[in-house]
Amino acid sequence: MYKYFISLCFVFVFVNGYSQINTSKEETKEKKDTITYKTGYGLRLGIDISKPALSIVDKSYSGLELVGDYRISKKWYVAAEIGHEDETTFEDFLSSSAKGNYIKIGANYNAYENWLDMNNEIFVGMRYGFAIFDHTLNSYQPNVSSGTENLPPYFPSTPIKTPMSDDGLTAHWTELQLGIKAETFKNLFIGFSFSYKIMLSVDDQKDFKTLYTPGFNRVFESNTGFGFNYTISYLIPFVNK
Amino acid sequence: MKKYIALFILIVGLTACEKDDFCTQNPVTPNLVLRFYDMDNTNDLKNVERLSIIAEGKTDSLFTNRTTDSIAIPLNSLSQKTVYTLKMNDVDGNIANNQTATLTIEYNPEEDFVSRSCGFRIIYENVTLSNTGWINSLSTTEVPLIDNQASAHVQVFH
Repeated sequence: MYKYFISLCFVFVFVNGYSQINTSKEETKEKKDTITYKTGYGLRLGIDISKPALSIVDKSYSGLELVGDYRISKKWYVAAEIGHEDETTFEDFLSSSAKGNYIKIGANYNAYENWLDMNNEIFVGMRYGFAIFDHTLNSYQPNVSSGTENLPPYFPSTPIKTPMSDDGLTAHWTELQLGIKAETFKNLFIGFSFSYKIMLSVDDQKDFKTLYTPGFNRVFESNTGFGFNYTISYLIPFVNK
Repeated sequence: MKKYIALFILIVGLTACEKDDFCTQNPVTPNLVLRFYDMDNTNDLKNVERLSIIAEGKTDSLFTNRTTDSIAIPLNSLSQKTVYTLKMNDVDGNIANNQTATLTIEYNPEEDFVSRSCGFRIIYENVTLSNTGWINSLSTTEVPLIDNQASAHVQVFH
């Protein structure tokens, strides 16, 4: 038993050791690091895979978005997205569809300090968005509810199933993006970003309102919108610097 | 692995959305609001005793045997005319003492978009009213537009 106590005593014994003491008196001259780490500059093209994925899950949605950016300086990228979306909105008293194309143009600022030759991004982006689309009121039922819960209307209304459509509608908006991009393989990037959009102007369908705009997503009452994308993109390096 | 987790979160996030807006307007389509006044003293409200009301062509009453000085009645949005029969009894519950009146309302129903959650409502333009029976007179027989029910549209004197 005692030997364990004795052994335990050794656990609390500390030894300070030194090695590699600079014994020479002469000062080492500090050398300047001459190695510069180069990263690729070029055109990066990709696809938003969240939209095709959502198309599989949600039968009332289909969409495709291509993304691209071009690096113009260490921190700045010119960036754009183009896409096509077709979405049907179902509400209690109506159903509507929006279908069309959009383009977003702007710039990303990379706020991330890369180590060595890494080429990752945590970026803030601004976009101007423009969409041209068709909006269809598929069906609706005038809301004549009695105002009392569980009491059916005294004079029920009939659903109107004749679709009404307006084409060539346009929308303009601005967008703020926050996202990350990581180089997972050489020149192959995976990224995701969130966006907050503010509608500048949008055409409404006659006697109705635009509830969904391609590229903008759902138009909220306050004329704002949110977006998300998950991209896989490939960098075509033109030059390393 | 990380990719699959991200994709999973994405799909859950995009499909598990609950409805986040509800129609809070109540009701959306306005009713015709009537207030009942004393025909001899037109500034005083006067209750209608044991009032029952039914629309022409309907088998069920809107309400029965109610004593009130104000009613909100829906108009038929599928027609340009709604005829109500108003039955009241200011003596007792005996059928023999029932008095009836008819109120004929003609109008042009128009659809009006309200909002995403409330949908479309009906507003009534060029409303004209006429009456028979125990109703002595109406304050007005023409209402240009019924698009809200914040206050009474017509005063009914009896």
